Amino acid sequence: MATLLQPEKVLYLVRGEKKIRVPLSQLYFCRYCSELRSLECVSHEVDSHFCPSCLENMPSAEAKLKKNRCANCFDCPCCMHTLSTRATNIPAPLPDDPTKTTMKKAYYLACGFCRWTSRDVGMADKSVASGGWQEPENPHTQRINKLIEYYQQLAQREKLERDRKKLARRRPFMPQAFSTHVVLQRQRSGAPISALYGLSLKEGEDQKEITIESAQALDEVEPLPEDYYTRPVNLPEVTTLRQRLLQPDFQPAGASQLHPRHKHLLMKRSLRCRKCEHNLSKPEFNPTSIKFKIQLVAVSYIPEVRIMSIPNLRHLKESQVLLTLTNPVENITHVSLYTCEEGDPDDINSTAKVLVPSKELVLAGKDAAAEYDELAEPQGFQDDPDVVAFRKSNKIGFFIKVIPQREEGDVTVAFKLRHDFRNLAAPIRPTEEGEATSEAIWLTHHVELSLGPLAT
Amino acid sequence: LSEETESGVVKIAAGAVVCVESDIRGDVTIGARTVVHPKARIIAEAGPIVIGEGNLIEEQALIINSYPENILPDAEDVEPKTMSIGINNVFEVGCVSQALKIGDNNVIESKAEVGRNVILSSGCIVGACCQVNTCEVIQENTVIYGSECLRRVQTERPQPQTLQLDFLMKILPNYHHLKKTVKGNSTPARS
Repeated sequence: MATLLQPEKVLYLVRGEKKIRVPLSQLYFCRYCSELRSLECVSHEVDSHFCPSCLENMPSAEAKLKKNRCANCFDCPCCMHTLSTRATNIPAPLPDDPTKTTMKKAYYLACGFCRWTSRDVGMADKSVASGGWQEPENPHTQRINKLIEYYQQLAQREKLERDRKKLARRRPFMPQAFSTHVVLQRQRSGAPISALYGLSLKEGEDQKEITIESAQALDEVEPLPEDYYTRPVNLPEVTTLRQRLLQPDFQPAGASQLHPRHKHLLMKRSLRCRKCEHNLSKPEFNPTSIKFKIQLVAVSYIPEVRIMSIPNLRHLKESQVLLTLTNPVENITHVSLYTCEEGDPDDINSTAKVLVPSKELVLAGKDAAAEYDELAEPQGFQDDPDVVAFRKSNKIGFFIKVIPQREEGDVTVAFKLRHDFRNLAAPIRPTEEGEATSEAIWLTHHVELSLGPLAT
Repeated sequence: LSEETESGVVKIAAGAVVCVESDIRGDVTIGARTVVHPKARIIAEAGPIVIGEGNLIEEQALIINSYPENILPDAEDVEPKTMSIGINNVFEVGCVSQALKIGDNNVIESKAEVGRNVILSSGCIVGACCQVNTCEVIQENTVIYGSECLRRVQTERPQPQTLQLDFLMKILPNYHHLKKTVKGNSTPARS
């Protein structure tokens, strides 16, 4: 029974730039466009950075400076778990009297999962609990920084020249190339003004010329040691590729050179509809909070179809499948189902014919207080017992008839779900007559169910 | 004769703390300063078990000297092999150990399974939920971890759990009845 609650069995079609079929729980609903949106047809923006182990927020500028790594937490270089600081008491001579020893606390890093310790790579114990640990310095940092500066300057110069050329031809849109910002910048119609602004600033600045030496090619390469092929491999000492590539600066081949690195930051992202530029999902700023400031997810607007029970399906024999429909909104929703017509371009996966109830199904509104109310008040809906199996607050169970058309393979059916949607978003045009604040619009979705294999 | 050895005597040295709720069957010898939690099971079916000193055997741990799978228990030509466990080992909650020879300072973490043909030397750590049923001698100071039972060698052996043992030896008698130890239980007054 638990397998039938898997949401991947019921897919809703999203008509975006690409046609995507995803379960409703992974979709968003733009209530300004009144359309379903999937993760691929929204733009993702970085909201805030935080460390997953110490849950510390970090402003984006600081994150960029620290290369998106936390200052306090370390990752085990062996198994990538978070390292914890442990303390031992070591006898240490008193500074005043070398003959007496007193217990001093020494701290070392240890991994709880693979039991790696900082002593394994020869890092000495530190006397402070945090802040004493340094990452090894990359020997090539200076050269790399110089190269980056040089190329940044070159890129700016090229961008200026290109902007000048484009201004001369008076093009209205400027694609922002060579942008050093992490956030993707969208096309704006006010671009010529900002480009001009940029030009005037740069001309006033005194540009410092940065030159770099070109890299020298060497003829002589250090020869391999003579026993390279004959020396037996010490397997515990060899690092795995994953361990090696997590430290691209050094890529140590030996496990005794694996130093811990600072932990990567995670980010919270906000989603924005590409057509109307409204936010679909905006998380809270606080890393410990899982709530959202704006959460326009599809399951809170669109009725959800779930499979409740599947009988034995046989080739070309009609069987009844029990589905449930849940109403997520607080007012009554009317749902009608239609079979897909012949030659429907969306209907590519179905392998069975389906007969859906022809009458309109009425779903009661979701009443948050109803679960605490023990008396189930009769809701006064006249249900056809052939169609509706049961009714429970905002959910009904109904039957569809499935006739598998193929002898082998999984049975997949598709149908259209049409329901009324009351837009509670603030209307752009104020209603003049003072009638009901929202009017219902009818939305149609294409739903596909995968009912599993035929009964043998 | 065979029935006598099967029901065997459990010899618990003085200083060991063995709770009454633990299930010890067969010919088992338990050393001093060893703590056996309630619901631990030590079963010596196919031979005696000798457990050294300073070991910590936690709840629902199973140390079993069982017959190898392809030999029937009634066959007469099976020699009883002794399972020996060294000192300062830790058998965490729910682990299963059938290894015939375990050295010192090993840690078998929760729900780990160690097969009969494995020999743990010293300082080995078998990680949680790892199953080791190869036929080999595990090198000293090896750590077996992860869902794929990856291995690595650490430079120092795990510390013996002396603090934990001392604490348990004080606290457990307050809440559980203990099995009687062999020597030094009731010393008659000497004149």
